[in-house]
Amino acid sequence: MTEVQERTDFDVRAFARNAQGPFRDELDLAPFAAEPLDPADRDLVRFIGRVESATMEHFRDVLMTATHKDARVTAFLVTWAYERSWIADALDAVLEAHGDPRARAVAEERARRRWGERRAWRGPLWRTVIAVGQRDAVVGAHMAAGLIDEWVLGAAYQVLAERAGNGALRKVIDRIAAIKRRHEEFFAAETHRRLTASVRAVRVARGELKHAVWPIGSLRRAPGDRRRFHEAVFGATDGWARAEAIGKKVAAIPGLTRRIGARIAARLRKR
Amino acid sequence: MAFDIDEYAAGSRAVRWDDLDFDHFRDNPLPPDTLRTLRYMTDVEYHTICYTRDLLTTPSHTDDDVARFMVTWNREEFWHGEALASVLRMHDIEVGFDELRANRLKFGWRDYLDPATQSTLSRLVGKDFIAVHMSWGAANEYTAVSAYKRMAALETDPVLAELLRRIAQQESKHVAFYVSQARKRLADSRKAQIITRFLLDKVWRPVGSSIMPHEEVVYVFGQLMSGPAGAAEARRLDASISALPGLSGLQIFANSFGRLLAEGAAPVPA
Repeated sequence: MTEVQERTDFDVRAFARNAQGPFRDELDLAPFAAEPLDPADRDLVRFIGRVESATMEHFRDVLMTATHKDARVTAFLVTWAYERSWIADALDAVLEAHGDPRARAVAEERARRRWGERRAWRGPLWRTVIAVGQRDAVVGAHMAAGLIDEWVLGAAYQVLAERAGNGALRKVIDRIAAIKRRHEEFFAAETHRRLTASVRAVRVARGELKHAVWPIGSLRRAPGDRRRFHEAVFGATDGWARAEAIGKKVAAIPGLTRRIGARIAARLRKR
Repeated sequence: MAFDIDEYAAGSRAVRWDDLDFDHFRDNPLPPDTLRTLRYMTDVEYHTICYTRDLLTTPSHTDDDVARFMVTWNREEFWHGEALASVLRMHDIEVGFDELRANRLKFGWRDYLDPATQSTLSRLVGKDFIAVHMSWGAANEYTAVSAYKRMAALETDPVLAELLRRIAQQESKHVAFYVSQARKRLADSRKAQIITRFLLDKVWRPVGSSIMPHEEVVYVFGQLMSGPAGAAEARRLDASISALPGLSGLQIFANSFGRLLAEGAAPVPA
């Protein structure tokens, strides 16, 4: 078994110590009264909030594997989930400033499996069985998935900020981006370290990423909501360019290929 | 009263110890048996993520309240681990990420099989299996609160006793969550009551049993639950778990602690 012993410079303990808790009270939401977001933008806010808070759905996938044994990674993930839950709360605050209910108070349509998502829908039983063969090589795949997810959600926040053209929302998004920067930093460092050090990790990452669904947490969302997200962020010419840009960044990850990058870009464009 | 998840999540803080004088341990080191018990509890706290893994084999995460609780609970337990590890560090005992990883690697094949078993049971039993996990969580958290309170009561060191009281206070909230979930789910289903009762009675073991060497489990519960005070605590815990719908008369704590105490008291074979 190839083990990766070295560490990256990311200080997980400091990250956990300085984790961002509730911050809705620090947001200036009053301007939304005079300058509200239109329903389509609020719809996008709601969807992003839902995927930001769907961390336990993601844990259900990753903890069935050897990733749960890596105490440094799990310490990061625990804090990552905590910070994401408060990001979702901040997005709820934006919705509530418009008189809308928070995201989880709105009933979701039943999720449906789409063509090509069979592997992404695997339950804990199958993941456990497959994890036996993947061993700790799978940690690199999970780190790369986290990194790509940051890029995908980064694109979504960018679209939201540009499309809404609303100063108050821009400030909320800037605040969120500052929190998420540390997530990207950890995932990027871990991805690079693990995929550079291990051929097996590269092989497992290629296999896993080909079948992943973006953003993390969207698999079990309502089909209509997913379609609208992909149309808003990765539809039309601008959106295609965004998907293409993410595909190129994926291709530049150590051990990954242009083909995998193109496949992920195609999946992002799929509505 | 229903557990208010919003209030719990918004009010959650990492347990504090920066205002406690840990340097005091340099001149007043804790005795080896206290350090051994602390080491056990440190591992239990850090390994909460492994128990989360078990919980996630059921559809429990689809319940917003449960999912939100898991996020905050994991963070609080991680900080309990950090706090206890800091006490151990003052005694030159390091419990870093590498040590924790090494311990988790020792779990072996059972660790791979556990989620598969639980997932299969969950699929066979259906949604009622969540009641098992919630009742199991209640039993574990009851044990943790009790262990910290017993340690604090037995402890003569004022700094450690204060830290243990702070941790126990947070653990009490975890008990409240699991009990409220278990009560609701057990009250809704006779099948959930029967399965939960059977599994708690036949399979449940005190917190830490699945992740720590057996001799450590015997040692720690021997330290904390012996004598008349320990027996009274076991009866109190049994009365609490028995108050849940369909679980009356269960004596899981008295039985489990009794077995461990008997093992600890037995002469070591030559």
